[in-house]
Amino acid sequence: MANTFKTDPIEFKPAAAQPAPSSTVGPVAWIKENLFSSIPNSVVTILVILGLLNVVPGVIDWMFISSTWSGASQDACVSDGACWVFIQAWSQQFFYGSYPSDGLWRVNLSLILLFVVIVLSFTLPANIRLKVSVPLFLVLPFVCIAILDGRLVGLDYVNTDFWGGFSLNVLMAAAAIIVAFPFSFLWALGRRSDMPLARSISVVFIEFFRGVPVLALFFMGSVMLPLFFAEGTNVDKLVRVWIVLIFFMSGYMAEVFRGGFQAIPSGQYEAADSIGLGYWQKTLLIILPQVIKVSMPNILATFVMLFKNTVFLLIIGIPEVLQTLLTALSNSNWLGGHAVEGYVFVGVIFWLCCFGMSMLASSIEKKLDTSHRN
Amino acid sequence: MIKLSSLIVGGLAAGLTLGAQAGTLDDVKKRGTLSCGVSTGLAGFSQKDEKGKWSGLDVDVCRAVAAAVLGDANKVQYKPLTAKERFTALQSGEIDVLSRNTTWTHTRDTSLGLNFAGVVYYDGTGFMVSKKLGVKSAKELDGANACIQAGTSTELAISDYFRENKIKYKPVTFDTSDQTRAGFESGRCDFLTSDQSQLYALRIGLKDPKGAIVLPEVISKEPLGPVVRQGDDQWFNIVKWSLSAMIEGEEQGVTSSNVADKLANGKPGNKRLLGGEGELGKNLGLNPDWAYQVIKQVGNYSESFERNVGSGSPLKISRGLNALWKDGGILYSPAMR
Amino acid sequence: MLKQKTTEQIKAATRKTESGSHAFYNNPKYRAAIYQALLIFGLAYFFFTIISNTFDNLEAAGIKSGFGFLSNAAGYDVLMSLIDFSSTDTYLRVFIVGFLNTILVSILGIFFATVLGFIFGVMYFSTNWIVKKISVIYVETFRNIPLLLQILFWYSAVLATLPGPRDSLSLGEAVFLNVRGLFIPKLVGEGGSILVYLALAAAIVGIFVLRSWAKKRQDATGQQFPVFNTSVAMVIGLPFLAALVTGFPFVIDYPALQGFGFRGGITVIPELMALTIALSVYTGAFIAEAVRAGIQAVPHGQTEAARSIGLREGKIMSLIIVPQAMRVIVPLLNSEYQSLVKNSTLAAAIAYPDLFNVFVGTALNQTGQAIETIFMAIVVYFAVNMFISFIMNRFNSNVELVGR
Repeated sequence: MANTFKTDPIEFKPAAAQPAPSSTVGPVAWIKENLFSSIPNSVVTILVILGLLNVVPGVIDWMFISSTWSGASQDACVSDGACWVFIQAWSQQFFYGSYPSDGLWRVNLSLILLFVVIVLSFTLPANIRLKVSVPLFLVLPFVCIAILDGRLVGLDYVNTDFWGGFSLNVLMAAAAIIVAFPFSFLWALGRRSDMPLARSISVVFIEFFRGVPVLALFFMGSVMLPLFFAEGTNVDKLVRVWIVLIFFMSGYMAEVFRGGFQAIPSGQYEAADSIGLGYWQKTLLIILPQVIKVSMPNILATFVMLFKNTVFLLIIGIPEVLQTLLTALSNSNWLGGHAVEGYVFVGVIFWLCCFGMSMLASSIEKKLDTSHRN
Repeated sequence: MIKLSSLIVGGLAAGLTLGAQAGTLDDVKKRGTLSCGVSTGLAGFSQKDEKGKWSGLDVDVCRAVAAAVLGDANKVQYKPLTAKERFTALQSGEIDVLSRNTTWTHTRDTSLGLNFAGVVYYDGTGFMVSKKLGVKSAKELDGANACIQAGTSTELAISDYFRENKIKYKPVTFDTSDQTRAGFESGRCDFLTSDQSQLYALRIGLKDPKGAIVLPEVISKEPLGPVVRQGDDQWFNIVKWSLSAMIEGEEQGVTSSNVADKLANGKPGNKRLLGGEGELGKNLGLNPDWAYQVIKQVGNYSESFERNVGSGSPLKISRGLNALWKDGGILYSPAMR
Repeated sequence: MLKQKTTEQIKAATRKTESGSHAFYNNPKYRAAIYQALLIFGLAYFFFTIISNTFDNLEAAGIKSGFGFLSNAAGYDVLMSLIDFSSTDTYLRVFIVGFLNTILVSILGIFFATVLGFIFGVMYFSTNWIVKKISVIYVETFRNIPLLLQILFWYSAVLATLPGPRDSLSLGEAVFLNVRGLFIPKLVGEGGSILVYLALAAAIVGIFVLRSWAKKRQDATGQQFPVFNTSVAMVIGLPFLAALVTGFPFVIDYPALQGFGFRGGITVIPELMALTIALSVYTGAFIAEAVRAGIQAVPHGQTEAARSIGLREGKIMSLIIVPQAMRVIVPLLNSEYQSLVKNSTLAAAIAYPDLFNVFVGTALNQTGQAIETIFMAIVVYFAVNMFISFIMNRFNSNVELVGR
């Protein structure tokens, strides 16, 4: 009889889960949960939707439906919508300025080099990443200038007056922040230094360049700097502005680095001291790599700020993209108010670039952030 | 550290610098291009097209000088300048000649170390109002808002004029012509004031150009001309006479199309101007065919005017004061002999 | 930092006692002195070169230097000034007019940017999906487009489309909005109005007294006092009472259509509106981001704890979360406010007569005194920013964590 009890070992077989109640899944539930969860919420939702309905169709109509996309001159634009012909006709100017058409590959090459170096600095194996990408970054501006200028590398000489358009905004911002990098590092070190004089000079420098409107600095570069150089020397306007931007940037970046320095645990300094490293060895080999890593999101944010600020160059007549737009608007064959199209176009390009960079910054931030708080 | 940075940056900069000063003519010849300061964009005077090519009345002055000095009107390096930096750029040697609708005033001529080399265009500050307003004279504009195209002398001229006539107004001063036009069009102001030459450009930009009229008052004298540094008389002469060659060309009926014929078979005056006779070129330190090249490549004054601002352009400005002296204007070239 | 200094000091101390090298250049103290001497020498040389070059250049160009031009008549008019100004006044007065206009737009901008920033920053935590997304879209759109473009957008694409003076949008025939600006009635005080102003001042002082009294009482007894409602009542009530006593010594100056436009009342020019809107929307996006970061920095446990003691959601935000988030937010606000003041220089793009536009713009154009005008402007912006920094640091020490 003992065997009669012998049955198969009981296997636990849970009953299939019941589907979630239909009131909590599916689009209807989602809408109910997220848009109409309470009376005030519903009111807000309805108001917002009504507002959007009021504005969006008009914008879409102007931009896409009744707009003119093809043609050769503004005579093609007869409808009420946007005249994208204007943008199309001037697109080369907007992107490359007056750079000679057969040399455009040089501008493209510079931009590609910039892009490649940036990508490399994120994708190289970690053990050689800094060792390779830092020197690459530091020579990059000079390589780009050599390519664009042409004289040093045996290409046709292209005067800086021909440089312009959106590519100038990008290259100017990149060249300024890269050259500012070592200086800002020195300023940040100076501000942390034990030497009272070095510290106060650094503080004055940093605070000056952070406290003064960038427009004032550009005016300095355009009308004051020529007076500072010895008589007879005559520095190219673009170079003068570049110098100003480097100073401006190094003030901001110094503060970014200072934050980075403060984020490094003091144990790192002590460990470096204990293995007998000197000041510069300790700073360059142990501290700097960590500082760069933790400061990366802020460096990107600073770059975005600088990049947006390059449109202010129009105030001093540098043919960057917005200045090119104004020049185009004053051409007697294009008089007729294409300003809005132009502003929308420039706004969209900047938005795409800046939004991309801030996405990058926040993804790096997430990667760096190892704390789990909510 | 500043020292260090400045040294390094300065060193970099040196790679991109150009020497200047001393003999401008020699510098230009050595460089092979003329560096000419123009406006960043002013309809009819200095404007860039979608190919990046500069054109306009001011630009033609640059081209004329380049043709006279280098024999090629295209060897010009255009430097777009804002109103604020134009004199600094000339003083520091960044440009060889400034041709950026600059008004010839006593102060500028005497206190900035500059010389005006002639007049390209006789301009004056004028008014434009909407026809609907029914205003016939600027004196009826009491209490109105003014859209002003910022120039360096417009603000002063209009302020003087209204104070003189004891009229009140509100100045809305815009930096760019496009905004000035947009401000006027949107009704931000009742009337628009700027140099007359620009009024026409602003007017054709309006959605309804016929709805606006230009008032008869011209409240200031604005002779616009090319400027050079003081102290280089040879260069000053070259710019002055390159401009005169265009005017003289019109007077003598020499145009870009008949210039070769005039040199071969023209009157003695034609031959003297074009380098067939006499030593005009040599006295300037230029080739004998300097004026020939100017007229051949740039055209005479009339051609340049009509092409850029006159009947051949969208602006359709009439010659008015800028006609030759014998046609009722005040344009006059010193004797070419 | 403190730790590191001590190690350096220890190291220096040990080195001194070591018998190794006695060369003075190995002594960190002397070495520091030498570095600094070199630095000073380099700087002095640098500035000497710049200054002597500048003087040479000015002389060669025949430009007069100095601040003498400030007492010359400006000869041009300014669109808007908070003090009386006519074209016969001096450049110095132009400077003051521009300065006041800059301060005006900065104060307005800071106020509205803070309001917008906090609203959108808190909206990010809304349970309504659409509200949350609007907050995200607002931040990401306005943060990533150059401010200059935004100013031009508000000015020439939004405000310029308002109707002309004759077809103004009006509110009870007292407030008018058109392309020329916003026209609102002005209260003109007559004899006895001083009493009303005094009452207002007394109310404001009273609020501060009340606040500190209420805080003390709450600390001591835990009882709360409706400070906000009382304050509102005081600010409105006291001046009203005073006005009642003196028999309303005010005349209201209504704007009215006359001649080419409106006369009377207060005019808010569209340039000021566009600049204020653009500055506050742009800076508001950054402040919203700061507020979001600040709130996210508050540990979630705080919210849970607050819920567990039965606080309502609104109270949790205002009493528990935001005060703690302020520690993160205030330093960020400081730099945002400073950049707002600096960005107000973009008034040059539209016709708003701020310091930069009327002084570094037009006055520099007229006089050619580049160094002097730019120097004066730089000093002003620097001073204003130092002032903001000072105030915000005071505020910061108020919200900082106080260990008990």
